[in-house]
Amino acid sequence: MRLRAVALGIAASVSMSFSALAGELTFWHAYSGQQDKVDFINYALEEFGKAHPDIKLNVVAAEQSSYKTKLNTAMASGNPPDVFYTLPGGFLGAFVAGNQMYSLDDALAKDGWGESFLSSALAQTTMGGHTYAVPIDIDSSVFWYNKKLFAEKGWTAPATYDQLLELCEKIKADGLVPFALGNKDSWPATFWFQYLEMRLKGSGIVSGFVAGNADATLGSEGTEAFKRIADLSAKGYFPVGFNGMSDQEANMLFLNGQAAMMLNGTWQIGASADASDDFELGFFPFPTVAEGKGDQSDILGGVAAAFGIAEKTTNKEDAVTLLRFLTSPAVMTKYVELRKTMVTVKGATTEAAAGPVLYGISNDLMGKAANLDPFYDTAMPPKGTDTYYTSLQGVLDGSVAPADAAKRLEEALKAK
Amino acid sequence: MASGAAAASSAVRRDSRYALLFLLPTLVLVVGFVAYPVVYSSVLSFYEWNGTATPVFVGLDNFLRLAGDGFFWAALARNLAVAASAIVLQVLLALVIAYCLVRIVGRIGRLFLFLYLVPVIVSEICIGLLWRFIYNPYFGLLNAALKAVGLQSLATGWLGQSSTAFAAVVAVMSFTYLGLYVLLFVAAVRNVPDSIYEAAALDGAGHFRSLFSMTIPMVWDSVRANVMLCIIGSLKTFSLVFVLTNGGPNHASEVVSTYLYKIGFNAFEMGYAATIGFAQMFLTAIGAWIVFRGLRSSKAGRGD
Repeated sequence: MRLRAVALGIAASVSMSFSALAGELTFWHAYSGQQDKVDFINYALEEFGKAHPDIKLNVVAAEQSSYKTKLNTAMASGNPPDVFYTLPGGFLGAFVAGNQMYSLDDALAKDGWGESFLSSALAQTTMGGHTYAVPIDIDSSVFWYNKKLFAEKGWTAPATYDQLLELCEKIKADGLVPFALGNKDSWPATFWFQYLEMRLKGSGIVSGFVAGNADATLGSEGTEAFKRIADLSAKGYFPVGFNGMSDQEANMLFLNGQAAMMLNGTWQIGASADASDDFELGFFPFPTVAEGKGDQSDILGGVAAAFGIAEKTTNKEDAVTLLRFLTSPAVMTKYVELRKTMVTVKGATTEAAAGPVLYGISNDLMGKAANLDPFYDTAMPPKGTDTYYTSLQGVLDGSVAPADAAKRLEEALKAK
Repeated sequence: MASGAAAASSAVRRDSRYALLFLLPTLVLVVGFVAYPVVYSSVLSFYEWNGTATPVFVGLDNFLRLAGDGFFWAALARNLAVAASAIVLQVLLALVIAYCLVRIVGRIGRLFLFLYLVPVIVSEICIGLLWRFIYNPYFGLLNAALKAVGLQSLATGWLGQSSTAFAAVVAVMSFTYLGLYVLLFVAAVRNVPDSIYEAAALDGAGHFRSLFSMTIPMVWDSVRANVMLCIIGSLKTFSLVFVLTNGGPNHASEVVSTYLYKIGFNAFEMGYAATIGFAQMFLTAIGAWIVFRGLRSSKAGRGD
């Protein structure tokens, strides 16, 4: 591991050594590996080359999984790229705290660039009143269900949590798994905890901790949310061995009709694209919880990726030009069309580009939601994430008591 | 005489100068990629550092935290369990297999040797992914095989249950690394002269007797080397655990290296990760040394 970090550092400094030249920018992104990502970035860079032939880009592409380490190493060694892909929340926060990000406030104020973004999205890349990156896309999490299976069995999408539990009993009685879940990598189960906490207590809980609010707390609702999750697991509503299965394996159950529903992100649309004819993807919002204190229309949704500029960059003018180009409506609509993901630029998620399911989520759910609550695991400081993940795995397999899990999580969130 | 000695010693000096010259490229790489990171990480273990901001000196805080970190000690205990299982299921089993291949199976032994070696040639990541399919509770071969022979009550979510996850990982490790030790032992067992076995056979020794009373003492040096190799490998094992379970569920199959990875590259606590890495290196060195010493004296005991 140590060796790899050093090797990455050397690779980073070598690739950085040309950055000082005028009219040149190093540009790092994580749109590699998946075809839809590659198609998008190829399109965007080609169009940029046509529009700005005077700016030469030195592009470094990486896959999402290795990108975080790569960027962190470059930042740590003091050789950041000029313009780069970053994640919002704690990941970006660490760079901001290290004074390594260039504030985009002035640039956003010009020519209505700032107004072109959804303000709830821009809020997720703004820290201490300054915006340090421009948000690109929004992932949100909703319930997915197999429409054909539901129609065949005469089931209907539940509106309340109690109806959801009743439906689970029916599904189980039919010998099927109510919810597909592949929790090996721990993030898939986080949607359960967060939605329950949002419904029971409200949005903005973890954001409150991150902002350093003294009265931030999970409340007794945290324990209650973990308790409900433990309950679902004990009743056998999740697949056998879900803590060892990957999200892809869980998807096989869902797409094969062995599992009826799945609480997952909007990337589920892409994952369901080549399912058989027996499958049709439908969605419904997380059901309302009768005694919940949160706004029951809230949606779990957060900025998935953003682009920022390093403070060290000498060529800031061209760097801003690149960001403005990437977030222009035309490029963003192309993004929606290729990746089937909602974007943060107003009006860019068109029905023609997004397709009916995504447009429905964007219009019917996000449009009517009182709040968008960003993903806890990326919003919280990285130190807390592992505690969150392992506590949740433990609650699901019965090895950690709900009250202990809530206590552990609260402590991790309070630690600075 | 005197001038001859001087000429010889100057030749030696010249030779050693050339030797140094040829070693230089490797030396540079060793210093740059091994020595420097080791020294740097031991320095880093006294700091708190998130990978981006300026490191903050915290003295022995990281070591105190390590001493009280239950997850680390539980992970280390799992590494020791891996080592214990590896000595039996990899080294000892490999020795028995090597003896069978050389002394009993004969010519077709080469074919078997090749089959044992396949997992050694294939990358661990691929092996891990293949085993994920085998272990899959719904589509996997293992549960299907259990159902086929009427043992469906044993079918379970192997990697997803706290109770079975670690054992499932250890089983894969044994399969994967066995071939390497078979290969090493086959070479050693082949070097034992036939005449000794012939003499033993005349005295009425069976295979069991000639394995334990003659082969093992004759190849004791390779036994020592292989046990050492397997202990070091077990204490720093990473890739199979990472691919199969990522240390989960809830740390149930966590080993030191996966824990270190999570602390360093998920939580970005570089200082503490360096402390874990330093402790791991130190404990591995001590463990290997103790076992190496222990095996030497037990050989002397046999010799007497």
